[in-house]
Amino acid sequence: MKRQVPILLAIAASLYPVIAFFFPARGINTFNQGLDEWMVIIASFALLLGIISMIQVNLAKVRRRAKGWIFSVLTLLAFAVMASFGIFGGQGETVLADGSTRLEPFTWVFQFMYSPLQSTMFSLLAFYVASASYRAFRVRNIEATLLLIGAVIIMIGRIPLGKLVFPFIPEVAEWIMKYPNAAAQRGVIIGAALGAAAMSIRVMVGIERPYLGKS
Amino acid sequence: MRVRGWLFLVLLAVAVGAAGGQEARMGLTVEDTPSDDGRSLTVRWDGEADSPLDVRIERRMRDAAEYEIAGNARVADGEFRDLGLESDAAYSYRLVIDPEGAARTSAPSPYVSPQENFFRLFRVNALVVILLMGVLVVGYIMAARRGADLYIRRIAGLDAIDEAVGRATEMGRKILYVPGIISINEPQTLASLGILGYVAKLTAKYGTQLEVPNADPLTMAAAREIVKQSYLEAGAPEQFHENMVHYITQDQFAYAGAVNGIMVRDKPAANFLLGWFAAESLLLSETGQSINAIQIAGTAQVTQLPFFVAACDYTMLGEELFAASAYLSKDPLILGSIKGQDMMKAAILVMVVVGVIMATAGVQGFVDWFTAL
Amino acid sequence: MKWAQKLLLVDRRIIFLLVFLGALIPILSPIGLIVQVSPPVRAIFDRVERMQAGDAILLSFDYGPSDGPELDPMANAILRHCNKKGIKVLGISLFPLGGVDMAFARMADLTRDLGGQNGIDWVNLGYKDGGQAAMKLMGEDFTAVFPTDADGVPIEEIPLMQGIRNYGDLEMAISLATSVLGEWWINLVNAQFGIDVAVGSTAVSAPKYYAYVEAKQAIGVMGGMKGASEYEELVERAYPDLAGLSRTATVGMDVQSIVHLVIIFFIIFGNIMYVLTQRTRREGI
Repeated sequence: MKRQVPILLAIAASLYPVIAFFFPARGINTFNQGLDEWMVIIASFALLLGIISMIQVNLAKVRRRAKGWIFSVLTLLAFAVMASFGIFGGQGETVLADGSTRLEPFTWVFQFMYSPLQSTMFSLLAFYVASASYRAFRVRNIEATLLLIGAVIIMIGRIPLGKLVFPFIPEVAEWIMKYPNAAAQRGVIIGAALGAAAMSIRVMVGIERPYLGKS
Repeated sequence: MRVRGWLFLVLLAVAVGAAGGQEARMGLTVEDTPSDDGRSLTVRWDGEADSPLDVRIERRMRDAAEYEIAGNARVADGEFRDLGLESDAAYSYRLVIDPEGAARTSAPSPYVSPQENFFRLFRVNALVVILLMGVLVVGYIMAARRGADLYIRRIAGLDAIDEAVGRATEMGRKILYVPGIISINEPQTLASLGILGYVAKLTAKYGTQLEVPNADPLTMAAAREIVKQSYLEAGAPEQFHENMVHYITQDQFAYAGAVNGIMVRDKPAANFLLGWFAAESLLLSETGQSINAIQIAGTAQVTQLPFFVAACDYTMLGEELFAASAYLSKDPLILGSIKGQDMMKAAILVMVVVGVIMATAGVQGFVDWFTAL
Repeated sequence: MKWAQKLLLVDRRIIFLLVFLGALIPILSPIGLIVQVSPPVRAIFDRVERMQAGDAILLSFDYGPSDGPELDPMANAILRHCNKKGIKVLGISLFPLGGVDMAFARMADLTRDLGGQNGIDWVNLGYKDGGQAAMKLMGEDFTAVFPTDADGVPIEEIPLMQGIRNYGDLEMAISLATSVLGEWWINLVNAQFGIDVAVGSTAVSAPKYYAYVEAKQAIGVMGGMKGASEYEELVERAYPDLAGLSRTATVGMDVQSIVHLVIIFFIIFGNIMYVLTQRTRREGI
């Protein structure tokens, strides 16, 4: 029963939306709508699991005085502070008596600490792309050379300077995006979608059961 | 005087008749919306394509005294679908053209009741394709069950797993396994967890350290169970401890920062980057490249594949990731489904070629059949 | 040639330094390059331009702070365009990490600059988890997903929401998306509910949306900072009184141009060194 019930539940839960997709009967679709609502609720509760795990792992590191334990203290402190601001404080701006506005603490931390940190991490990509491009774009063979030429055309064509250097380059770049790029994207998207569909069929008929913890 | 009076009445009759004819020319029809759940009606009228006027659609239930507003549209739209009706009620509609201006009202339509339909006919195309795929996949699974020899080509990235684990064991360093950053409802995550089970069995067998940092709590829970089970099956349950598989954060870049920190501090000998990734793919793979770890990556995210190809030693492209379970386990049932999937791709290729020929020849029906969903 | 071999293995920190300088110099000394508009962005602008006052669109803030530099300028340009035309904007967010706060900030900017009113010109319905499940439910009824707005006001009491029940009451949906959310809007919402969908994405994701634009599943795509600068340019051309209000992406294109040239230089340089080392190796054999 310990194995059969989850498998049956998984099969039923995966087949039902497919049936609702084709048959519009109200009875079927009302329950399907309910499944969607449950999904929204369960996804929210799943955050709790992660929070508990994060607290457990970091507390254990602090107790053991493991390497870098001080960062775990900072993590737990930041979590407690931000959660308190969010739960007990408000979001957005408050209009004060004199007409000026004051940011709520949660929003202040978000705008002036979290946002810049996120932007900084994302901006690292620019540097990493440069070093990866330098290493990867070599004229080793015909395919690599074509890749290199295509990449250079797109990089020049997608900047305003491109038109100044070669007036036709933006149109060439747009043509590459619209035709060869779109064709290649379609091929990979179709392949990936088929792979996902086959994987879903395997889960639906109970052949693959990763939710049971057995690969 | 009498002649003028008669003339006036004739002119008035003509004007009223013209107005009535003008109302009739609105062409108002109401019919049951096809292929629905019996709670909507479709209202149509003669819509001039370049008309800038608005139209207010009003409805009345059979026993109601007043009309109520069903919705607003433009005259040019020509059609309005009224949703959320009661299926056992009858409704009559009228149009108010230019409600904020001259406000002409049409004659009311006859009463119509919405009907529940059995099947969404416009999705026959999807049903045919799903059934075809189902037949192919199930057919090949049954063939595999009967002992048919099903061939899958060599996938370099999967062959390299044993090499990567061996290298880590020799160097006495850990293996870092990143199962993507998204939840377990994503097929790529499921595929990655399938490979994780195999890797965990190898690390249990050779006594190599394994760490699996997660960005999603549900994925972490499933990954933990899979690794625990693998260590049990490999006969080394004492080597498993729960903190091998842990949760970091759902935040994409905070997760990337944390994993990069693990790479730079602990210098794992092998990195597995398998699953669903976004922009952090390059951050992870470049950092792994800088510490000279052997890197095996795999994703179906088209936008991240170039980064993995540039920075990793082996990259599994799209479907190769999904084929991993079959390839590693050699389970005939899963092999059968991979074969069915390949045959479906062949069928799609045939449909694409036929569609191109037909569209070029001006036969639009074949292409249109695929369009509506 | 040993020097070629050494240069081929140049320390990545030198590359990082030159990229940094390439980004810093145009910020300190702007060039003022002119932006060319591409068809996929023009298609989105034209679709909004064809709408009339009182029409409503859905603007989904499906991104977080890390994508802000690319997607915030798009949000600002679209909000200003809609405000100018009297188009009502329903703001939502399906991205958990900061989406609703990005929406708050952009709408606060709009109110400050052009006096748009919450509940009348725009409304922020907040964040909802569930992704595709939430998208499907909005096709039936917005109140099933967002019973109140982000400030807790019941949806029935919001003037803007009167007469808007589901996608059928909207002209289009624009998703400013990171990762896969834009694809969900196209594959699910456009395919199943028929509403026009446009996507603003990060530059790295933009190539995949061209397939959807060509298949007419999406009206258009704004790709990264370039796409944002193109939309800003179109808005400024059509409404000169908005000029100067929002040019973040246009200014950013100067930086992008120089950094692209730096990267191209390194690619060409690396290949020259590679060819020279290969030649030496062959001669040595």
